[in-house]
Amino acid sequence: MRADSRGRTWLLYAAYYAAAIAIGIVVGLAVVAFAGGNVGLALSTLLTGPITTSAGIQQIFVRFIILCLIGLGVGLALKAGLWNIGGQGQMVIGMVMVFVVFTYMRSLASPLLFFLIIVAAALGGLAWIVVPVVLKTKVGANEIVVTLLLNIVASNFGLYMINGPIRGPQSFGYPITATLPANLRLPLTFAVPIVVAVGIALYLLVERTSFNLEANTVGESTVTARYAGVGVTKVITVTMLVAGALAGLAGAFLVMGYLYHLDAGQFSTNYGLLAIIVALLGRKSMLGITLASLLFAYVTIGVEEMAVVTGVQSSIEFAIEGIMLITVLFASYLIDRSKLR
Amino acid sequence: MSVALSDVVVGVFYATLSLSPLILFACMGEIIAEKSGVADLGIEGIMLMSAFVTFAIDILTRSPWLGILAGVSVGVVMGAFYGYLAIGVYLDQIASGLSLYLFGLGFSYVLFVVLSNKYAGTFPNFINIGTIYIPGLSALPILGRVLFQQNILVYVALALVPTTAYFLQRTRIGLQIRAVGENPRAADTMGINVKRVRFEAILIGTFLAALAGAYFEIGYLQTFQFDIIMGRGFVALVMVYFSNWNPYKALVAALGFEAVNATQTEIVSLAGPSLQLSSTLFNILPYVFVLALIPIMGRHARAPKYMLVPYKKS
Repeated sequence: MRADSRGRTWLLYAAYYAAAIAIGIVVGLAVVAFAGGNVGLALSTLLTGPITTSAGIQQIFVRFIILCLIGLGVGLALKAGLWNIGGQGQMVIGMVMVFVVFTYMRSLASPLLFFLIIVAAALGGLAWIVVPVVLKTKVGANEIVVTLLLNIVASNFGLYMINGPIRGPQSFGYPITATLPANLRLPLTFAVPIVVAVGIALYLLVERTSFNLEANTVGESTVTARYAGVGVTKVITVTMLVAGALAGLAGAFLVMGYLYHLDAGQFSTNYGLLAIIVALLGRKSMLGITLASLLFAYVTIGVEEMAVVTGVQSSIEFAIEGIMLITVLFASYLIDRSKLR
Repeated sequence: MSVALSDVVVGVFYATLSLSPLILFACMGEIIAEKSGVADLGIEGIMLMSAFVTFAIDILTRSPWLGILAGVSVGVVMGAFYGYLAIGVYLDQIASGLSLYLFGLGFSYVLFVVLSNKYAGTFPNFINIGTIYIPGLSALPILGRVLFQQNILVYVALALVPTTAYFLQRTRIGLQIRAVGENPRAADTMGINVKRVRFEAILIGTFLAALAGAYFEIGYLQTFQFDIIMGRGFVALVMVYFSNWNPYKALVAALGFEAVNATQTEIVSLAGPSLQLSSTLFNILPYVFVLALIPIMGRHARAPKYMLVPYKKS
């Protein structure tokens, strides 16, 4: 392909997806108008709000870290034709693991404890996805159904943990953990480059090797893949386990880089589904997903700020994200159709 | 504490039956939709929207029947839109289904807050549809309370199980639905309009999912909150798979889930304070029950052959 036409293709993608996001924003503004909010204020906040305050910029980076890590895993599994709907649950287990290690191994030297926490969170996310993987490869159980169920289990488990085993010593009976001390925190200025590096590393490991072809073959048809001698079970296991570990890691980074503690409100997010939007927006490519995460982080934080200034219920965020998921899918459909022609 | 054991048992069975329509309606609808080859992962969102609209119209018009009608209508409109996305333009069914969930989750609560502001937080009384007391039978000891003093929609939900089985096995449209799910190309050759049949199946499915949401308001909860359906729509999706797309097995699975749930709720409320039981840990039990049974039930599960595969002519 000539560089010129390739550039034009990317421009076309960008135009379609920009339109998809814009439609979501327009519908969101219509809802604001219906709810009696100030539409002009809503739009200006949505577009420029996030970068006018340092708190907003911090929020974008936090959101980027979560969406990118979970989204990369979702995209990886999607290459092999698998849906990881359980990113939320795996992330929650990662968040809980941070405080499990912190509560029970506090006496360790802090650099060791620091790395142990990160490893434990990734392993927690990985362990949480082992169940669907085993059920998929041994029994043939649908991974969508199992990962969905495990989301509900994870949030209840998280509530139980902060109510008991990992409740902080100064919680006064409230379900809340201790606060991570400064030496166990991970500044966002470190976390963001790490996440970008993970995206680039996955690009090199997956998309520049034969694994990409293997995964895509499994994604097309497991029958064909078996016939071609591709280890279907291996591909399913590797992609899903990496996805789980990345989501667990997202949980660790969220806690160590921003929250520093856990309470009940932090389990009722929908990051697993937002990561799906990001994976589709990035067209399942590791670099694309990394880029899409930053864009979508900006948009969703903008929507959150818009809800605050206009006084519309903050759950409007989910409604707008739902619409954007549809419009992004629709844009992908139009792009694929134009490519066929 | 002296609580008669019979009261506890009656309480558990009563709760099991009175919550079961939520899963049952959604489950039967999803079986019909998936049999045609189209899964709808967005039923949770449809149930949320329907529940809210039912609540809103009920308190605005003082008529529960208008509430149900409005709630179900909104659900069917969402279903028609989903049908267009999945069947008309072949969008990915998993992702577009989940988008309906996100939309319903957020939008239902945004609207609720708008309504709540309008009434400054104090709503007029919610009018529900009364419990049916089946003459004679409702006076029976134990059984009368459990089986014959339920909301009318509980009986409708139970009757829907054999109806769905009959519909899929014995009627012409039921046969067509199964045909387009198993082999759309052959069905097309036989002169069946594949897209139309699938679209009809989606409409029936979302109609029933919306009815589940409406029931939750009219027959059970009578109020609204964020995320009020509590994942029951997702549980229904699991049950469909679990039951191998068989309405009777789905009934057993749904009742089993609600029975475990009612039992844990009862245990926690009776013994919780004295034994320091954690309600959140017990809340997990029904889901663990389902997960533990998947290796047994899922081993023989076989989805309709062309489920999730869009049909494009030529």
